[in-house]
Amino acid sequence: MTARSSVFAVSFSREPSPGVETLQREQELNRFLAEVEKRALRITEISIRDRDEALDLVQNAMIKLVRKYSSRTSDEWTPLFYRILQNGVRDWHRRQTVKKRVIVWFGGSDDEDPDVIAKAPDTAGRTPHEQLESHEAMKDLERALAGLPQRQKEAFMLRTFEGLDVADTATAMGCSAGSVKTHYSRAVHSLRETLGDHW
Amino acid sequence: MSEHNDDELFEAKAKGLFDDSVQAIDGQTQSRLNRGRQKALAELARRPAAGVLGIWAPATGVAVAAVVAVALWSGNRPPADIAPASSATDLEILLNEDSLEMLEELEFYSWIELDEDAGANVG
Repeated sequence: MTARSSVFAVSFSREPSPGVETLQREQELNRFLAEVEKRALRITEISIRDRDEALDLVQNAMIKLVRKYSSRTSDEWTPLFYRILQNGVRDWHRRQTVKKRVIVWFGGSDDEDPDVIAKAPDTAGRTPHEQLESHEAMKDLERALAGLPQRQKEAFMLRTFEGLDVADTATAMGCSAGSVKTHYSRAVHSLRETLGDHW
Repeated sequence: MSEHNDDELFEAKAKGLFDDSVQAIDGQTQSRLNRGRQKALAELARRPAAGVLGIWAPATGVAVAAVVAVALWSGNRPPADIAPASSATDLEILLNEDSLEMLEELEFYSWIELDEDAGANVG
């Protein structure tokens, strides 16, 4: 092999083929989605109080992220994913408002779904009493969250539950960093007031 | 203890309880999440075809928006008894790129509005 051809061979071998690039991207996306999906599900479930609907919304957000933003750097995926998801949640609430009018018109019932978390086995090796305490405290928190305005709820869950910083939360919520701080501060104040010192 | 420390304790407790609830997600739900993820990843294989469509996507979006705007505001006006006051809200929702599927339910939403107006006129 001549020097020229060997240089070509080396430079050629360093260029990943489109198929390899797609495979690498798929693996990155798979890792990202697997890492975020359970927390995203719980955040959505707390927002809309329906696990089946939350599963649909999370799946739609995953599909939209892959369709629209798979070529973005992986650092950008978390806020983009949550932005798509929050838009989905807001759309869901709009639709529910319309559907509830119909349900009320036809005299249907709007009962909450059974508590699926209560049925889940404990994986942390806690006593039944500790599990019950933890579960009840979480239910209290969820009830308090349900009483918050949507934007405060979003800010609190994205910052506290998902651990996003202010800038990423602002991207996810589609608002300024200042608004995130205001919503978050009001959410914490309101939740602490609702839950009281005993919580 | 300061208010700031109290807030931090509160946030830490909330985060701990949330993490516990995430860990408690049952196997069946995890399986459904996994299937959803695989379905999403399958979109990667379709992206080259989507790229060709992508050239036309902005033009299609503008065309759809124009048709919707015209239908709601002027030419193809709905019957007079469908409330025009909510047209701006309808348009805002319909133009949201995550809400285009609502187009499929236009008839349903029109019916709701018509129904409400009828109700409002009673009594």
